[in-house]
Amino acid sequence: MTARLRIAGFLGGIAAVACGASSLRGPAFKEDWQDDGGRAIAQVAARLDSTRLPESKGLVVGITKTGLVGMGLDGSGKWTHAGLPDARPSIAGGVVVFTAGGKLVGLDGASGRELWSVSVGDKHLRGAGDDGSTTVATVAGVSGGGTVVVAVARGGSVLQRWTPDQDVGIPGIAGTTVFAPWDSQYVSALDVATGDEIGRVLARTVVSRAVSIGGSLYFGESALVKFDSAIAKSARGEAHIVKLPERELPGKPTWFPSGVSVLPTNAGAPDSIRFYARPADRQGALGLDSERFAATYFRIVVGFNAGDGALRWTRTLPAEVIGGDAVTGGFAFCDVDGDVWFTDARAGGAAGKTAFGQPLKGCIVSAGAYHVASAGDSGSLTAQITEAIELRDSQMATIQRFLLRELGTNESDPGVTKTLLDLASDARTQPEVLAEARTLLAARRNGVDFMLTALERHYDFLSDVLRPPPVGPLADALAAVGEKRAAPLLAAHLNDPSDSPNDVRHAAHALLKLATPDELAAVRTFFSLYHSTANEDDLIAAAVDAARILVQIGGAEGTSIVEQAARDPLTVPAVREAITSFAPSKKG
Amino acid sequence: MIRRRHLSRLRLPLAAVAVAFGLALAAPSVLAKGKQPTKGKTDVPRLDLPALKKQLAGSEEDIVAALRTIEESGNVEGAPLVTEVLARGGTEAIVEEALKAAGKLKSSSLSPSIAPYVQHRTEEIRRAAARALVKTKGPVAVSTLSKALRSEDASVRGTAATGLGELGARESIKDLFNALDHGVAEAAASIGQLCKPEECEEFAGRTGKLTFDVMQTGFDQILFRPATEISDDDKLKLVGRMRELGTVEVGKYLTDVGERWPKDWSKKVKQAIDSAAHAAAAGAKK
Repeated sequence: MTARLRIAGFLGGIAAVACGASSLRGPAFKEDWQDDGGRAIAQVAARLDSTRLPESKGLVVGITKTGLVGMGLDGSGKWTHAGLPDARPSIAGGVVVFTAGGKLVGLDGASGRELWSVSVGDKHLRGAGDDGSTTVATVAGVSGGGTVVVAVARGGSVLQRWTPDQDVGIPGIAGTTVFAPWDSQYVSALDVATGDEIGRVLARTVVSRAVSIGGSLYFGESALVKFDSAIAKSARGEAHIVKLPERELPGKPTWFPSGVSVLPTNAGAPDSIRFYARPADRQGALGLDSERFAATYFRIVVGFNAGDGALRWTRTLPAEVIGGDAVTGGFAFCDVDGDVWFTDARAGGAAGKTAFGQPLKGCIVSAGAYHVASAGDSGSLTAQITEAIELRDSQMATIQRFLLRELGTNESDPGVTKTLLDLASDARTQPEVLAEARTLLAARRNGVDFMLTALERHYDFLSDVLRPPPVGPLADALAAVGEKRAAPLLAAHLNDPSDSPNDVRHAAHALLKLATPDELAAVRTFFSLYHSTANEDDLIAAAVDAARILVQIGGAEGTSIVEQAARDPLTVPAVREAITSFAPSKKG
Repeated sequence: MIRRRHLSRLRLPLAAVAVAFGLALAAPSVLAKGKQPTKGKTDVPRLDLPALKKQLAGSEEDIVAALRTIEESGNVEGAPLVTEVLARGGTEAIVEEALKAAGKLKSSSLSPSIAPYVQHRTEEIRRAAARALVKTKGPVAVSTLSKALRSEDASVRGTAATGLGELGARESIKDLFNALDHGVAEAAASIGQLCKPEECEEFAGRTGKLTFDVMQTGFDQILFRPATEISDDDKLKLVGRMRELGTVEVGKYLTDVGERWPKDWSKKVKQAIDSAAHAAAAGAKK
């Protein structure tokens, strides 16, 4: 693996830097830095090329009402730590880092034991990195500014402290080099021993954090640039970079929050609306593990194909997701109930869970080296989407609309028609979801039997059918496929006042194509009732179509009815005007 | 409290007065001279049908006036004209007047032409249609009102429930129970009018689940039904059930029932009613 930073080369690397690049050394975070064409950072990369950052076995840390709880992703080693942090904690390798009471504290992630504590005054944690022996953290004022980057040895001694004027994001560390992102475009490589800057990455994507994944270091925010031999070409946009395909998703999820912000202790909506993906080498190129990335929207998780961003799966969880991480082979999502759910990356199947057994206010997951085993049958995508859409939670309406649109793209499955019908007929369906379901139903060209069954229903107070079927969309769909069996059912809906005028309009229009003499009685009744009382556009249009049907297939009697209405001054003017154009005028 | 059946009996002479009063105001041109004798009933004014027909082909005002004439005459000879108007359709004013006239004529031949209007989108029209069907009666009225129990319009449901009781629509008893369980309070009185003893017991079983003001409308109907329909023993059971409730409301109600109890009806039941009323009042005071 070329990205691995093998420790073996570390000492040799230091020598190389000391001998060959001493001229590049200088004060950290210099504003007047001149691009050196990547020479200095190339040397740093070369020195660290063999270094592989250690990974934990996978950790999850929860914030409760009274303090922190932690455990391995495998459910092992549960621990608690009394006292609340003053900002979102960070999991750096195997160390849990947080600030509280003016102290920056490091806990052993496996046991919760305090490793060290150093004073940081009134600063709050932005984030931290760790290389197995040294932890580096950025702390700052809550509202920004006053950044301090501090490197702490396992024993608790402060190895270096930087107090730059610039707003520094979340740092990483490899060997004795700290990587500090700042000004959205730079990552300064800082020597822990001297505090000097020994190289700099100029990124062509926003960088506000360093993150260690799979033993490698990445920089970024909405995309990740890998720290490897190609990093020197970053300024030319030729570094190894991984981006997520563009997807317009509800709530505009982000892959990572900005690293120059102090995140609140308690999770909020941005923590529930996130992208998760794990960079991985794929056939020599940088891609995503399992070729999948996931997005969360409170209780619903959706999985996408890494290549084209196509929806591959969705999963509905019992409680709101407030944290998570992409792990090898899948994803881990932590919810407000204190459960951590594992999902198979390929198909979204349930791959187990672990639990704190208590509600959480915030949750941080670090995948480490954890692997998600592939899950069993996770059902069809249609079934998964149906489950997500049927969730009766007004907060979910936006993602449900998104999923509905995705569902609608499946044109061959009659089950999709049934799902849409169920939604459109259910009185509990959210208005936005209902509107979307109706639009999609009108475009369906299969599942005709489901449609006919739905049309048999009418509003029925005594049977608790409190929402009539989506007559309008069904009329459109059934007329488009020329389904004559729909005619009597649509005719029966003409005279049902529980159907909306718009639905009736579409029913009448469909009957223009589908009606047979058997439907004449219903059409005649409708025309009689409304040619003089239609008081809105939909009813007027329906009355005009009813007149057309009477002329088309109603024989002499039907024509006579329309003729009379055309002459009747009490006929609604708009109806009269329209039917005069096609009603044969009586001679004499 | 006056029984609903008694009320409907009272309405007949009132209607006759209204018709007579209306006659004085009606357009005289379409009323034929003299009165038309009908089979052993009160004489009703004759209608000039050709003139009315002509008027019904006129303006909205003409049509409404013609319908009013028919309505006020109460003469069933006008029924075919009303049917024609309803079949043809018209403005809201015309349809409402036609439904009123239909109700006044009380001819079951009108029910089929009224029935579609119970499904009209205009609430005033569908409500008027439901009311008219209660008066025109017949199998179509019963089937339409039974269906109307399922309406989205609470007022139509209520009218339908009441109407089915008035029409003696035994076949609708299950739907009425269903309606009652769905909160159609008017169904209670109709169930009371129509129930067989075991069904009355089933109705009484809802005591405590439904509010007493709803239940008492059904109880009232049951208690005042002749002993040939509901035995005194069944009435005693019903009184006993009310006594168990022992509320002020029950006390007041039973006192009222006692006052209305026909003198020649069961003394045993009367005694039970009085005793239960007394006990309920006393219990409530404690």
